[in-house]
Amino acid sequence: MNAPTLQDRTLKAFSVLLGYPTAELQAAMPEIGGVLAAEPRLTAAQRRALRALTDRLAGADLYALQEEYVALFDRSRSLSLNLFEHVHGESRDRGGAMVDLLETYRAGGFEPVTTELPDHLPVLLEFLATQPAATAREILADAAHILQALAERLARRESPYAAVFAALVRLAGATPDAAALADLLAEPETDPDDLAALDAAWQESEVRFGPDPNAGCPVTRELLARIDPPAPPSAQ
Amino acid sequence: MSQLLDRLNFLQPRRMETYADGLGEVTREPRDWEETYRNRWRHDKIVRSTHGVNCTGSCSWKIYVKSGIVTWETQYTDYPRTRPGLPNHEPRGCARGASYSWYLYSANRVKTPLVRGRLMRLWRRMRETRQPVEAWEAIQRDPILRAEYVKARGKGGFVRASWDEATEMIAAANAWTIRTYGPDRIFGFSPIPAMSMVSYAAGSRYLSLLGGVCMSFYDWYCDLPPSSPMTWGEQTDVPESADWYNAGYLLLWGSNVPQTRTPDAHFYTEARYRGAKSAVICPDYSEAAKFGDVWLNVKQGTDAALAIAFGHVILREFHLDRQVEYFEDYCRRYSDFPMLVKLEERDGRLVPGRFLRAAEIEGALGETNNPEWKTVAIDENSGELVAPNGTIGHRWGEKGRWNLEEKAGGRDVRLKLTLILDEDHDDIAGVDFPYFGADATAAFDSGDRRPNVLTRNVPVRRVKTTEGEVAVATVFDLLCANYGLDRGLGGDWVARDYAEDIPGTPAWAEKITGVSRDKIIHVAREFARNAEKTQGKSMVIIGAAMNHWYHMDMNYRGVINMLIMCGCVGQSGGGWAHYVGQEKLRPQTGWAPIAFALDWGRPPRQMNSTSAWYAHTGQWRYETVTAGEILSPTAPEGDWEELSLIDYNIRAERMGWLPSAPQLRTNPLEVAKAAKAAGKEVAAYVAEKLKSGELEMSCEDPDAPENWPRNLFVWRSNLLGSSGKGHEYFLRHLLGTDNGVLGEETGRRPREARWHDEAPRGKLDLLVCIDFRMSTTAVYADVVLPTASWYEKNDLNTSDMHPFIHPLQAAVDPAYESRSDWGIFKSIAVQFQKVAPEVLGRETDVVAVPILHDTPGEIAQTEVRDWKRGECDLIPGRTAPNFVAVERDYTAIADRFMALGPLMEKLGNGGKGIAWNTGHEVEALRALNGAHADGAARGAARIVTDIDACEAIMMLAPETNGEVAVKAWAALSEVTGRDHTHLARPKEDEKIRFADIAAQPRKIITSPTWSGIESEKVCYNAGWTNVHELIPWRTLTGRQQTYQDHLWMRAFGEGFVTWRPPVDLKTVTGKLIEQGDGLVLNFITPHQKWGIHSTYTDNLLMLTLNRGGPVIWISENDAKKAGIRDNDWVELFNANGALTARAVVSQRIKDGTTFMYHAQEKIVNTPGSEITGRRGGIHNSVTRTVPKPTHMIGGYAQQSWGFNYYGTVGANRDEFVIVRRMRKVDWLDRPATTKEAAQ
Repeated sequence: MNAPTLQDRTLKAFSVLLGYPTAELQAAMPEIGGVLAAEPRLTAAQRRALRALTDRLAGADLYALQEEYVALFDRSRSLSLNLFEHVHGESRDRGGAMVDLLETYRAGGFEPVTTELPDHLPVLLEFLATQPAATAREILADAAHILQALAERLARRESPYAAVFAALVRLAGATPDAAALADLLAEPETDPDDLAALDAAWQESEVRFGPDPNAGCPVTRELLARIDPPAPPSAQ
Repeated sequence: MSQLLDRLNFLQPRRMETYADGLGEVTREPRDWEETYRNRWRHDKIVRSTHGVNCTGSCSWKIYVKSGIVTWETQYTDYPRTRPGLPNHEPRGCARGASYSWYLYSANRVKTPLVRGRLMRLWRRMRETRQPVEAWEAIQRDPILRAEYVKARGKGGFVRASWDEATEMIAAANAWTIRTYGPDRIFGFSPIPAMSMVSYAAGSRYLSLLGGVCMSFYDWYCDLPPSSPMTWGEQTDVPESADWYNAGYLLLWGSNVPQTRTPDAHFYTEARYRGAKSAVICPDYSEAAKFGDVWLNVKQGTDAALAIAFGHVILREFHLDRQVEYFEDYCRRYSDFPMLVKLEERDGRLVPGRFLRAAEIEGALGETNNPEWKTVAIDENSGELVAPNGTIGHRWGEKGRWNLEEKAGGRDVRLKLTLILDEDHDDIAGVDFPYFGADATAAFDSGDRRPNVLTRNVPVRRVKTTEGEVAVATVFDLLCANYGLDRGLGGDWVARDYAEDIPGTPAWAEKITGVSRDKIIHVAREFARNAEKTQGKSMVIIGAAMNHWYHMDMNYRGVINMLIMCGCVGQSGGGWAHYVGQEKLRPQTGWAPIAFALDWGRPPRQMNSTSAWYAHTGQWRYETVTAGEILSPTAPEGDWEELSLIDYNIRAERMGWLPSAPQLRTNPLEVAKAAKAAGKEVAAYVAEKLKSGELEMSCEDPDAPENWPRNLFVWRSNLLGSSGKGHEYFLRHLLGTDNGVLGEETGRRPREARWHDEAPRGKLDLLVCIDFRMSTTAVYADVVLPTASWYEKNDLNTSDMHPFIHPLQAAVDPAYESRSDWGIFKSIAVQFQKVAPEVLGRETDVVAVPILHDTPGEIAQTEVRDWKRGECDLIPGRTAPNFVAVERDYTAIADRFMALGPLMEKLGNGGKGIAWNTGHEVEALRALNGAHADGAARGAARIVTDIDACEAIMMLAPETNGEVAVKAWAALSEVTGRDHTHLARPKEDEKIRFADIAAQPRKIITSPTWSGIESEKVCYNAGWTNVHELIPWRTLTGRQQTYQDHLWMRAFGEGFVTWRPPVDLKTVTGKLIEQGDGLVLNFITPHQKWGIHSTYTDNLLMLTLNRGGPVIWISENDAKKAGIRDNDWVELFNANGALTARAVVSQRIKDGTTFMYHAQEKIVNTPGSEITGRRGGIHNSVTRTVPKPTHMIGGYAQQSWGFNYYGTVGANRDEFVIVRRMRKVDWLDRPATTKEAAQ
């Protein structure tokens, strides 16, 4: 089988942009910035926002960029680049979902050679960059609500990385499932810098017996709902 | 025949079948949904492993793996069967454990090596133009550069590093520290090897090859009960959980079995079905309380009073008014009850003194070997004084009489328990016993205003000694007096009636403990009656709740005395079951050579953590407890009250009792050079220079920069987060970063420790944390290395709860860039070998060794003499630490790390006082693992991989190699003069390999390292071989020792067990009280339901099941007092610091206490403290460790130091806090402080 070739340089650019900042990455910013600036699928505002990111990555002190990256993507669970973290968390479905994704890569003619898990977003984006546009769009669309949630969380922190996620939602061409998005945004932010949100999300609701004593225990219901969020089709 | 036409012959209508009386219905829906389950169960392989990363339970799990990804896990149910009539072990593995499994792929994991950005930048800049060691030196020599990253600790700012870069920096730091200050400035802390012993050994082997310091944990965690070494000469040995089933009476005392021993709790339930009775003693209405037939809700911290009252009833009804033959016989043979104690006269009064020794009798009772270490009793047959077999004096220097046969000097004897009969005593004398009941602080005050010395009558005999006539009494007679029992001898402070309020009686204990006298009498009677009928099948399951008090020994010794009185220790179904720490490292003697690199150099450097952290985190500078407050009114002459607690520790180090780290102010490599230059042997040289003052022990000046610990490795542990008593002091002095200490330094200047007006801040140059998650320790570290978790490494796991050895197996590769602990330390060793030649070569190191338990040296000091004060000469290894030269090759650290060194063949192996040749095993290991073809370890057996290390451990250990077990028993047989090899002979050909335990957990082989046996007939139970094989306990008397005669024990009033109220730590002071709302509570930190062991609580499921962050529990009444409602945010504070948490208001908590479950992390959901203005602390933010002089005793039989065996312990339950509702919850999440998030 012929090795599949790169089809979508924009997706590949995003894969690279979401990698750990290095001197090599900084040096590549003009090229990456060029690709993104010329991407017609994005709005002008989105291209401007991406420009802010590439400029920052190109110009800022590398240690500052690295510290920021580690704090955002390595240390904050709510911003994890591992997509299934947001779908399955620490539930037992996660292993199976990752196996499925791995098999998707294999079916696409690739074998991952990274220490990252299969659900790591840059890995997925690199894979999608090799796939026919329709396939790529379809898979991105499945994850649209996660991408949108990450975009909003990053925007809340005024991080320029938000632009990447906003752009990905646009490329997916899908409106994120509103209900799934709302669920995600309502989920706790385990990030140590946003503890108020975390606390609000985890506060137990009061147990009330009546007026309908057969309605069951609300705590249990909520708990179960959180443990088993509806899995998106991609994970089935 | 229309019926034929109407009836269907071949078809039936599409009607659904029903079942269950029509309630259920068969449907014909598509079965696609089953795919979900089929997918879930897909796997390429099943691997056996366990949760030994953070749990000691040793439960067997099936791990299903598909395409290199863990997809599922279930419990294994193939444990080796027990025997008919005894339930099996399975199923083991709890829901909590299962809930943590998916942490494997959690976003909380550390993915790559991390270095604080400021340090990384400095390092790279220096490294551009310099060699590694030179680069590290450049940073350390510049105080401004050093402060740049030191002060940033705990404030985020990590960047990723490659493995090579991170390990090179660590290696350079280690090499520079060795060259500049000495290898004993490199510390390493890791706990509980039993749960993943190769992972532990990885770090300790690397450190030991360097000459670094391995820090103890069991004492520091305060899980070590010093009462165990005092009584039995054994660190801790306990029955396996299956033996609970054999008990007739189970007393659960401060142990919450259903909550904290989930996989074993079924034996407790099953014992109840079998008909066992159970009493539960704990202050709160715990999960265990619900299992009890009777619940005694004792006031926290008063357990000793309860135990003494139990003992009072048992002695009265089973030993005095009626003598149970079994009890008497047991106590005569297996306890120190018949031994004679000299009564020392002072100011015309008598006080229990030292055990009478053979050496003190004219002619030494015919004993020529160690007569000063042979205790004396009276023989009933002859009426004469005898030195019975089995004492410590028989253990060393002779063979064949160290046993518990009823013999003395070759004759049969029967030791006399009591001198109560008129013809047996010469006199009835008043003997003084200290009484501390009236010293209670307000919170424990029972209105007791008795004097602090109680004089009670005791039958005594006058004995002629080499120093004139002395009065002696048996331990039993003194013990009865101590328990306040009226034996018709007249005098005060003894009772005949339980209702009399005399110290020792149930009526007295009722006032202190709040438990009614009826319940006390009832439980004591049932406990003893059951033991009488079953010959000792009464058991006490005891927990940390009892051991974490400053006077824990009183709690424990009170309980142990009950068990000895009733003949329970060493009997299946009976005895003392202390499950705290679960550190039973079954293949210990196979593991130790690998772990401490004994194959390359001996002895290793080991340190007791409590004393080290007390000194190096500056906690001694804030000491509020004086020796005078805990001293006995009957203390012998001495300068006791003039010394601070650190002074006691310094004297203990100087006299060779406790270890030291660092050891000498001068670099030991330089000391060795100087000795060589002077043409002197190392020990003699050091002795001379210590005496002249040219060399100085580091302990005398812990704040001098030469004496700081410089590098610290923390692995498999959350030292700062869960076990760091005095957390805020760690931050202030050891780490040098922001902290929340609220109190002030003491105004009292120590006598032995040099005081610097300005205390150092930031002693550590480098803190390396090896973890798979960002724990509180990782947050403060300079370098964080990602390690393998549950199913990512090969390792061994044992527990004291079951008799099996179990593997951890790498079902999948370590996620992200993580590596196994073995792999990590191997990488560091490789880098070290590369960078070291810059400054180090082959060097001679001088290792200071304290006087060790289970070595001939343990009978070093019959008297307490300090060479520095001119009381004796400095003789290394006798009156001071020994100083031993150890050759190190710093250019071959990695080569040595990965090979089994030559000393195993040259010097052999051994443990607990016995030794054997192990050449055959080394040969077999060479054949199994292969040998190195070249390098510095050419020809040596390979221990390159973690499995190689497992094989080495199992090959060398008697528990996993029957041939070694037989050798070990033979070695012990020589000393005891009795043949014990029959215990292992049937298994002589058995060799357990890693592949064997991967197939099924294997039951270990009986070895003399442990006091129980593995057999078809009995469960493992501690003390079994002492009772049934007549092997002495490793104590002074060779028996279970209830009386402790060391000078310091007597000085601090603990010769016998007594009731000591909790100490006054004075941390709730005037200025702070004003900031509270009048609520001051006793602060208790039990183990929790919503986390595993003591590791962490940052798993979403666990957090969701609880309250999503730190909580404290308080009673409804206390909550009302301070206007606190359930779920309110509250702040707890005292002089040590502050913490924030939500309040759980519950009826189950006793008024006057607050519970904060152990090990809740400040990285999760913790708001700022209004008092300190910083992120609220953790449970240890309000604690500080306070060492106890009696735990520093050394050079004295069982009271000699051993790693994790004896020493100061980190008690923390006497602490009080102010509890206040928070006015305003501030999450400190302003942008300006985001970097300080985890602060």
